[in-house]
Amino acid sequence: METKEITGRAQEDAAALKALLPAQDILTFSFADGKGREYVCIFADALTDKDLLSEQALRPLSCYAGAADADAVARAALSPEVRAEASYEKLAAEVLAGNPVLVWEGADKGLALGTKKIAVRAVAEPPTDVAIKGPREGFVEDIKTNTSLIRRRLKTGELMIEMLPVGRRSQTNVALCWLDGTCRADIVDALRKKLSAIDIDALPDASYLTRFLTDKPYSLVKQTGTTEKPDIFCAKLAEGRAGILTDGSPIALTLPYLLAEDFQSGEDYFVPAARATFTRLLRLFALLVAVYLPAFYVAAQLFKLRLLPVKLLLTIAGSIRDIPLSPSLEMLLVLLVLEVLNEASIRMPKYVGMALSVVGALVLGETAVSAGFVSTPAIIIVAFSGIGLYAVPNLIEETSVLRLFMLLAAGSVGPYGIMLVSAFVLVSLVTTENYGVPLCAPFAPFSARDMKDALVKFNLLSLKERPRALNSPNKRRMK
Amino acid sequence: MTITPRQICFFLAGIAPVGKLILLPANLAATCGNDLLLPVLAHVLVQSVLVFCVLLLGRRERTLCTLLRDACGKTAARIAACLLAAFLLFAAFVPVIEQKLLVRSTFYDTIPAYLVFTPFFLFAAYICARPLPTLGRLWDILAPLALTGMAGIALFSAGSADLGALAPAGAAGAGGFLKGVQTACAWFFDAALLLCLIGRFPYRKGLALGGALCSLAGGGVLLLLLALFYGVFPGIAVIQTPAFSRMSGFFAGMTVLGRIDYFFIFAVAFAMTFHAALPVQCAVGLLTEAFGNKKYLAPALSVLFSALMLSAVYLVHFHTSAAVRTVTETLFWIFPLFTVLVPLLALLVFGRRHETLS
Repeated sequence: METKEITGRAQEDAAALKALLPAQDILTFSFADGKGREYVCIFADALTDKDLLSEQALRPLSCYAGAADADAVARAALSPEVRAEASYEKLAAEVLAGNPVLVWEGADKGLALGTKKIAVRAVAEPPTDVAIKGPREGFVEDIKTNTSLIRRRLKTGELMIEMLPVGRRSQTNVALCWLDGTCRADIVDALRKKLSAIDIDALPDASYLTRFLTDKPYSLVKQTGTTEKPDIFCAKLAEGRAGILTDGSPIALTLPYLLAEDFQSGEDYFVPAARATFTRLLRLFALLVAVYLPAFYVAAQLFKLRLLPVKLLLTIAGSIRDIPLSPSLEMLLVLLVLEVLNEASIRMPKYVGMALSVVGALVLGETAVSAGFVSTPAIIIVAFSGIGLYAVPNLIEETSVLRLFMLLAAGSVGPYGIMLVSAFVLVSLVTTENYGVPLCAPFAPFSARDMKDALVKFNLLSLKERPRALNSPNKRRMK
Repeated sequence: MTITPRQICFFLAGIAPVGKLILLPANLAATCGNDLLLPVLAHVLVQSVLVFCVLLLGRRERTLCTLLRDACGKTAARIAACLLAAFLLFAAFVPVIEQKLLVRSTFYDTIPAYLVFTPFFLFAAYICARPLPTLGRLWDILAPLALTGMAGIALFSAGSADLGALAPAGAAGAGGFLKGVQTACAWFFDAALLLCLIGRFPYRKGLALGGALCSLAGGGVLLLLLALFYGVFPGIAVIQTPAFSRMSGFFAGMTVLGRIDYFFIFAVAFAMTFHAALPVQCAVGLLTEAFGNKKYLAPALSVLFSALMLSAVYLVHFHTSAAVRTVTETLFWIFPLFTVLVPLLALLVFGRRHETLS
């Protein structure tokens, strides 16, 4: 296909660009320089900082009387971010990205000026990763702000940030970040290749990318790390991972991902090692309880009463005596109610959400028990399971599905069903790898050295080397 | 994905003993009474020597199929692989039957329907289709889990075990000892399993000796549990199957805490589930390699073999004891043939050092 290029006739070039961008919010205006040459500026109305445009380009150029070539005009424009392009398509893309384009009489190329103005949310603490101790900054939707947050923390020439447009129509900027010499080159190459191969209309959020970046896109197992905090993102880059930022999304992705990452929090590194170890084990315990407790309760009632101590058994027997539903149906019902309440409370406005909590807790919970639809132990178990799930918030999607599978297995096959589902999950987990890194490292394959920062957290001074599982070319991080 | 020498050691020390904790203790108690440790000790020693031999064969860093193919040609290698696979399927019968007994007696208060055990074969078909090196990573998780489980069971049962019941040693006489050795043959085929894995792990200096020591350590764990088992049930050990899930139930604290020993029992049973599928998985791996690693061969074979095991188990459903007796008493000689003779023969033929040694 023939690429149409700048002709050097201002009105004709402007008309050609306008033909490519017929929308009403793409505006044009003309002015003349000191020599009387005509200039036409094409810009997207809401995306351009008109004051800056006027200050950096229009005012100096109106007095300009030099040569008409793009280099000379660019020097006169006083703008620190100027790109010269001859192709109409590329210039149109610049306009859509918020950069005004200048064409003029006698031009060999058009100029794109970096004077875009985008409404940006202020940097704030992310709601999904609140820290009592440690940095409170979080990523925002603007990719430039996010790269600045990273660059501020990693002041090294080894920090590489490569911008790649993704999305046929959205042309969303995706930044591939890594520390040169620390992250394996084959990981960066593979990511670059996968990102370039994505053929999708639009990329509304970083979560869309996760399916394209993994080897098993249909797997239920999570295979990319996510964070909203630049300090965690930078720490992961420093460990030898690559990171991905997406314009329009505050979620950053990190790869390769290890399952153990989600049991760690940024705060673990700001508190004593013993405390960090305790909280990590607590998270694991909470997750196991959340997934297994409802299932074991049902299995114990249906198939294996001896699992429960006698006194507890008598208490439960008293509570469930008049319940019309089977234990598995009762538990499934209460779990579904919890999921519905959870879903509704997240989507609802804050004030309605409070009312919803009251309705959920009092009306549904209390009344359902007193009406004899469900038993008190079932409510307690589901409540505990619901809370436990949130101890590891990054795995909620996977664990809530797993909890349902466990419950179905417990209700149909009993304790053996729970065991078999666990066995399936274990095989699936240990065989998952991304970018040559086993998901379950450092547990399977076991690595004693990496165990220093897995579930048990050693003192910072012991963590002299990067995780062996990531196989970084630069092994040492501390001397 | 490869198996590491450490994972081989994990298997020998932590996973191999769990396969011998369901029917074997009661069967041995029936054949040689309080002398049940002696036949096991003999088997443990022999297995450790065999493990040493097989791991020594691993120095060539070639799989059994490759060794056979290079030495005897493709057809002979396929025939040998088929024979070994047939043995592994035969050897899988007792562990699968044991799994069924375990499910019925440990996981349910009342005897459940036949179908309850059927999902195991779905799992077997799933795991057997996976490449053999997957085992290494599973052992990394399962070995500590199984060892913790066995330690917990031992701890809970130690208080109620009368180890004096094991005395006087030798009461069963030579006949009892030999009968015990014969009975236990069906449970000691670790060397044959290991034979399927050679060439899939890098050989390091001292691995053969380390493996043999781990095998001895695993045997030590097994002997300890057997001793405790007989100590807990001196008079009625014969009817206590599955042994390991019953011996810890008399711990004094359980009236208050409930059956907390079930945590440990479930941990061991979890490892047993994988162990029960292991012979079939090795058979699938062996045949897949022998017939050219074709893409759909492993899934097809794993489904076929799982279905075969399912049919066999349900075919003998009402004659389980007789079937187990046939394998352990009448056909017991098949086990030493493949577990002792084949590894020794393989070492004799392929064991010489080669220029490609690591």
